[in-house]
Amino acid sequence: MSFTSFFFFIFLVLLLLVYFHVPERMRWVVLLIASIIFYATWGWEKLPFIMLLAWIAWVAGSMIGLRYSKAADGDKEELKKARQYGRIVATVAVILLLALLMYVKVGTLLVKSLSLEGGVSIIVPLGISYYTFSLIGYVLDCYWRKEQYEKNYFKLLLFASYFPKVLQGPIVKYRELEPQLVAVHRYDYRNLCYGLQLMLWGYFKKLVIADRLAIFVNTVYGDYHHKSGSMLLVATIFGAFQLYCDFSGCMDIAAGFSEIIGIKLDRNFNHPFFSESTAEFWRRWHITLGVWFKDYVYMPISVAPRMMKLMGKVRKRFGMSAAKNVSTIIALSVVWILTGLWHGTGLNYVVWGIYWGVLIILGMLLGPSLGKLCVKLHINTDSREWHLFRKFRTFCLFVISRFMTIPGDFKVTLEVWRKIFSIKFYPWELVDGTIFNMGLNRPNFVAAILFLVLLYFVSRHEENGESGRDWIAQKQIVPRWVIYYGLLFTILIFGIYGPGYNASDFVYMKF
Amino acid sequence: MEEKVLELLSNEYPEIDFAASDALVDDGILDSLTITGIIALLTMEFGIVIPYEEIVEENFNSVNALAKMVERLQG
Repeated sequence: MSFTSFFFFIFLVLLLLVYFHVPERMRWVVLLIASIIFYATWGWEKLPFIMLLAWIAWVAGSMIGLRYSKAADGDKEELKKARQYGRIVATVAVILLLALLMYVKVGTLLVKSLSLEGGVSIIVPLGISYYTFSLIGYVLDCYWRKEQYEKNYFKLLLFASYFPKVLQGPIVKYRELEPQLVAVHRYDYRNLCYGLQLMLWGYFKKLVIADRLAIFVNTVYGDYHHKSGSMLLVATIFGAFQLYCDFSGCMDIAAGFSEIIGIKLDRNFNHPFFSESTAEFWRRWHITLGVWFKDYVYMPISVAPRMMKLMGKVRKRFGMSAAKNVSTIIALSVVWILTGLWHGTGLNYVVWGIYWGVLIILGMLLGPSLGKLCVKLHINTDSREWHLFRKFRTFCLFVISRFMTIPGDFKVTLEVWRKIFSIKFYPWELVDGTIFNMGLNRPNFVAAILFLVLLYFVSRHEENGESGRDWIAQKQIVPRWVIYYGLLFTILIFGIYGPGYNASDFVYMKF
Repeated sequence: MEEKVLELLSNEYPEIDFAASDALVDDGILDSLTITGIIALLTMEFGIVIPYEEIVEENFNSVNALAKMVERLQG
C-alpha cells in the first residue's frame, strides 16, 4: 500500500476514526496495529524479519539499561564495569543488525548477479535501511546513556515501524518520537487543516512534478545510446528536481498525516537548492540521515581516544589547526564512503560518496583562503549576484552527482559525459522541437516548467521565513478553500497516474 | 576553571564570543566541527578523557557548563 494508492486514503480515514474513538490509553496500540497492517500490505513474510530486528534492539537496550541501573548506586568501578558490559552488548547488537541489513542488501545483489532467481529468494523489507538505522541509534544511545531503555517491546516496535516514516524516514531518535507516540492526542481542527495542507503539497510535488519529470528522465536515460548530449543534460537537471520533489513530497505526506494525529516528525528537507555550499546543502538535504551519520559515525570517530592521541602528535609538530584538519578529514572520509555505500553497493555510489566527501573537505580546507582571494579580487561577497552564483554553483555540483546515480552504472555515466562534452551534444535539439518528443509533449513540458516555477516561489517565500501554511490559514474562508480546491484539482487533473490510478513508487523507498 | 577554559577557547576560536551566550549549541554558534575541536583542546590541555555520553548539548552550551564537565572528569 503506497502513499499514493487509493487504498491508502481509505486506510487513513479508517485509522483516524478508530484512533480518536478508542480509549486514550489504547491509542498507541492502534498506531502499532495500523503500522503492522500497513507494512504487511507489502508482504506478510517481511513482518517476522522486522520484528526480529526490533527484538534484537530491545533485548540489547534492556540488557544495557538494566546493567547501568544496577551500577547507578555503586562506585566508579561499578560504572566502568557497566560501561564495558554495555560496549560488548551494543557491539554484538549492532553487528547483528548490520549483518541482517547486509543480508538483505548484498544478498539481493548476489542473487541478481549470479542469476540465482530459480529457487533462491531474499526477503527484502522496504525501508530496511531507515528501520535498521533507527534501531542502531537506539542501542548506541542506550549504551551512551543518552536514552532510557524501553521496557515494553511493542512500544519499541511501534517506534521502529511507525508507518508514516517506515518507508523513507525521517530517521527519528527514540527519545523524540516515542513520547509522542504513546502520548494521548485529541482531535484538533487546526492540526487537521495544517496536516491536510502539508499532505496536499506533498502529493502535488510527487504526482504533479516528480512523476511528470520522471517520464522525461526515464525516456531519455532508457535509450541513452540514441539520445544527444543536450537531451541527457536536460534529463539530468530534471532528474535533480525529480528526486527532490519525490523524496520531499513523501516526507510532506508522512509529516502531514502525523500532524493530523498530533505527532511531529523531524524535518528532512529545508529548501536545499538555496544552499550556497556543499556542506550547507547536506545540512538541508536528507537532514536526518546526515544527523544520524554525525551522531553515530562522525562524532564517535572524531572524539575517540585514538584520534585524540593522533591529534596530540600532529599538534606538537604542525599546530592545532593541522590537528583539527586531520581529525575532520579522517572522520568525514569514513562518513562519506559509508553514505555512498548506504545509497548503493555499486561503483557509481562509491564514487558518488567520494565526490561529496572531497567537495566538503575541500570546502572546509580552502574556505578561508578563498575568502581572502575574494577580498583581493574586490568581490563583493554581500552582493545578490554573488549569493546567486554560489547557489547556482551548488546546484550544478548536485546535478553532476545525479549523473552518477541516475544511470545506475558508472560505465553509462562515462558514456553520458562523453556525449555531453563531444560533438554529440547537438544543442539545436533544445530548440527544434526534439525536446517535446522525450515522453512529455509540448503542453506537458510547459506544465512541468510552470509547476517548477510555482515550487520556486513557494520555496523562496518559506526561505524568507514566511510560512505559506500560515498565509493560507489567515485567509478568509472563501479564498482559503479556493486554494485548497485549486491544489486538489491540480493534483487530480495534472497528476501522473498509472494503471488502476496508482502512481509510481517513491524513489527512496528501495532503501 | 571557568576563566581558564574561556581563555583557552577564546585563543583558539577568536571569532566566537563564548561569554555572550549560554546556549552555544542550541543557538547554532557551535557546529559539529567546532565541538570536536573543543573536545580535542580540552582533552589535550587538561589530560582528561571525555566519554561520548558526556557529549550532549547541555555540556557545551556555555563556558560554565564546559568548565563543570572538565572538573567532573578530572575528579
